[in-house]
Amino acid sequence: MKAGRAGLVAGGLVALLGFGVFWSATDGFTAFTAETARRAEILRSPRSLPAVALEDQDGRRFSLQDYRGRLLAVEFIYTRCTTICRSLGMAFRQVRERLPAQALGHEVALLSISFDAARDDPASLKAYGQAFGADGAHWRIARIHSPAEVAPLLAAFGVVVIPDGMGGFEHNAAIHLLGRDGKLTQISDIDQPVEFADRIASSL
Amino acid sequence: MNLHARISLGACYLFLATPVARSALEAAMSTHMLLQIPLLAAAGVLLARLLPVARQDALLTACGGALPLVVLALFASSYWMLPRALDAALGDPLTEAAKFISLPLLVGLPLALAWRQLTAIGRGFVWTNFISMLAVLGWLYIAAPVRVCNNYLVDEQGSTGWLMVKLALLLFAGWLGTLFVGGNVAPVAVPASSRDDARQANPA
Amino acid sequence: MANYTYEHTPDRGATAGVLAYLGTACAVLLLMMLVGLLMRLEQAQIIDLGANWFYELMTLHGAGMVGIAGIAGAAVMWHFLRQYVDLSPGIFLANLALFLVGVVMIIGSIVFGHFHAAWTFLYPMPSQSMGMWSQEAAALFMGGLLVIGVGFLLLHLDIARAIVARYGNFARALGWPQLFGHDDGNAPPPTVVASTMVTIVNIVGLVVGASILTMMLLNLYLPEFTIDAMLAKGMIYFFGHVFINATIYMAVIAVYEILPRYTQRPWKANKVFLASWSASTLMVMFIFPHHLLMDFAFPQWMLIMGHIIGYLNTVPILVVTGYGALMIVFRSGIRWDMASRLLFLSLFGWAAGAMPAFIDGTITVNYVMHNTLWVPGHFHTYLLLGMVAMVFGFIYYLGKPGQNAAEGWLDRAAFWGFSSGALGFTLSFLYAGKESVARRYAVHLPEWLPYDRVGSVFAALVVASSLLFVLRFFSRLGAAGRDYARAPLAQGAAA
Repeated sequence: MKAGRAGLVAGGLVALLGFGVFWSATDGFTAFTAETARRAEILRSPRSLPAVALEDQDGRRFSLQDYRGRLLAVEFIYTRCTTICRSLGMAFRQVRERLPAQALGHEVALLSISFDAARDDPASLKAYGQAFGADGAHWRIARIHSPAEVAPLLAAFGVVVIPDGMGGFEHNAAIHLLGRDGKLTQISDIDQPVEFADRIASSL
Repeated sequence: MNLHARISLGACYLFLATPVARSALEAAMSTHMLLQIPLLAAAGVLLARLLPVARQDALLTACGGALPLVVLALFASSYWMLPRALDAALGDPLTEAAKFISLPLLVGLPLALAWRQLTAIGRGFVWTNFISMLAVLGWLYIAAPVRVCNNYLVDEQGSTGWLMVKLALLLFAGWLGTLFVGGNVAPVAVPASSRDDARQANPA
Repeated sequence: MANYTYEHTPDRGATAGVLAYLGTACAVLLLMMLVGLLMRLEQAQIIDLGANWFYELMTLHGAGMVGIAGIAGAAVMWHFLRQYVDLSPGIFLANLALFLVGVVMIIGSIVFGHFHAAWTFLYPMPSQSMGMWSQEAAALFMGGLLVIGVGFLLLHLDIARAIVARYGNFARALGWPQLFGHDDGNAPPPTVVASTMVTIVNIVGLVVGASILTMMLLNLYLPEFTIDAMLAKGMIYFFGHVFINATIYMAVIAVYEILPRYTQRPWKANKVFLASWSASTLMVMFIFPHHLLMDFAFPQWMLIMGHIIGYLNTVPILVVTGYGALMIVFRSGIRWDMASRLLFLSLFGWAAGAMPAFIDGTITVNYVMHNTLWVPGHFHTYLLLGMVAMVFGFIYYLGKPGQNAAEGWLDRAAFWGFSSGALGFTLSFLYAGKESVARRYAVHLPEWLPYDRVGSVFAALVVASSLLFVLRFFSRLGAAGRDYARAPLAQGAAA
């Protein structure tokens, strides 16, 4: 290579710059995927969520803001799902069982939200809840009332739902925690429900 | 002639940027990574080739020679191989614009300029490194324990990874193959009879 | 049939770069021989180092010997290839510099980091040390190999460039027009053919090696990205086997270049010669599975391929070279000196070393012979008695003070010490392998002790003789760099 000294210096500078860009673009070589980045960003700065009208398995209307003053665990599902949402259901069940019984409903609640507003009517939400042992009070299954509000809510959470080509959906499944101020404060892996529940219990 | 070529190049580039072409190429991870991104880089290569030779040389000197340009192309191209960057390009128009600008200008153009100055060793080094990095990247996508892109199905990352490995093998075989054909015998030492010359004019 | 006549090219002295290569190779060779002797003494239970030290020494010995085999082979190839093509001395030295950096990293990883997963760094051993060495030690070792690999890749790219610049493409450099068409006698000289073959297979091997090393380095820090263990083993063996085989294909150039000078007979690059080198170019890349025959989990076609190609590849270059050497020497009135003796011995060593490989390459034999000392027996025969003897022949040739310079009895004694020592040493390995049983763990039964003790004695003899060879070379470095005729004319040959 005929690179002279100037070329070497320039090459070094470009490499340094490149490392800098990679460093900041991956949060210091920790977040290589959008999902890790989303979780890290939420931890750094909790995010406010829009007031979206929800409807639970009994047809009751409510919103996320109704839970202010309590901790709220949120997961996104669709009831026809036979893969990851089953793990989500099982994970939530484990969270519920791990939490102190006296705090349930008073200091902390669980909410499964369906993003398939068109197909998931209250009846199918109810069936889903029963399958996983949700009581419908401390752990409710809900759908977004107006289909137009699905996209804004998912975007606020940073959840991306794409069709899986077989009539279902694939999405970045996780367990979300809303703080007492109603902000999204923490996102956890679905295969770590016990750790998630323990973190909640310790902040009660 | 040159003007004609420039207009065609511009038209192709603009076509790639149309929503139709974008959604077609970005619908699958494999076409996004292995078709759209290389095409954008190739546009940069063509752009460089369409510049007057004096202009190319001036740019090359101004940038400090081949080395910084190769390093620049290395970092810029690696950046768009990050799953996080792919997701960002799909969700954020600004990132998508950055992708459309940086791939031709920071990958294709610098490589094409550097290529003029690179010796056979430099070119071979770039090729062999690129090939082995492509194979390793393919493995990373195959072996990834999590879904790396929120916008693509989990099965796709495996198939895209395998495509990269296969492409690396194909490129390697192709590159080695080029060393077996063409070229001329240097006019030294060998007693050059006319019979020899006839043979050389007809390479195997 | 083409006509071949001997064309005399004047002897050129070695450049400073070649001498630096050879000096490095000789110094490390002696050191690694001592390490090897320690290992034999440990197995003979004459000294007691303990298992950890043994494996550290084994890792050091393996990495060091493979490295200097590459360096010494490259020195031989570069020295002679320079007569035909225009090579870059800068790249040649850059390779040595990168090699030394890699060596420092590897020694640091073993001596200070106690890394001892063997030079073959089989996945997942480097990352699963059970607390015996740190992640950093493993990274340093594999990083060192990667640095060395990058250096060799650069060197081979330069050789590829020079060959293509002179001969147009690899096909002509391998003599394909003469092989597949009319042999007009204008095929490239054997040195160019051999260098082209080595360059092709090593570029492929090094790219595969760099890929698996990068994958394992990433896996070290991102353990959730697992590698298919069989794929890793295949890639490592491919890279390692190609690289170590290539060293002998580089070193044999010394035989092609030096022996003809003694008898004024040409080494013919005829159709048979060209065919054997072209065939081996392909086969060398496909024979590594003959070391995986007991891995029943590998696809069957791979094992059968290893078996068949392992058989086939034993033949071409070896037989052609052996036959060629006999034709050069037969009734030539050659005057034997240390260089020609060692070069001739090396061909015997290479042939002898191929036989155990041939036997072990048989699937049914492999089940009971692999994972015994038979395997080190096989590669020590062809490397020590073959490859190293070629290098020793080369350094004796370079350092020879004059065409008719007399040789002392000490050198001659060392030659016989080296040949008998190496033979006894490798036979003790082979016999111990035959007598013992295949094993998966590092068990060394007391019944095998006698072979280890005999082996130790022979190993000491090899070390002592090699010491003399190397000291002789270092004392003649000045002569080695000068241009003058070194080969004594054969009796009765026209001057």
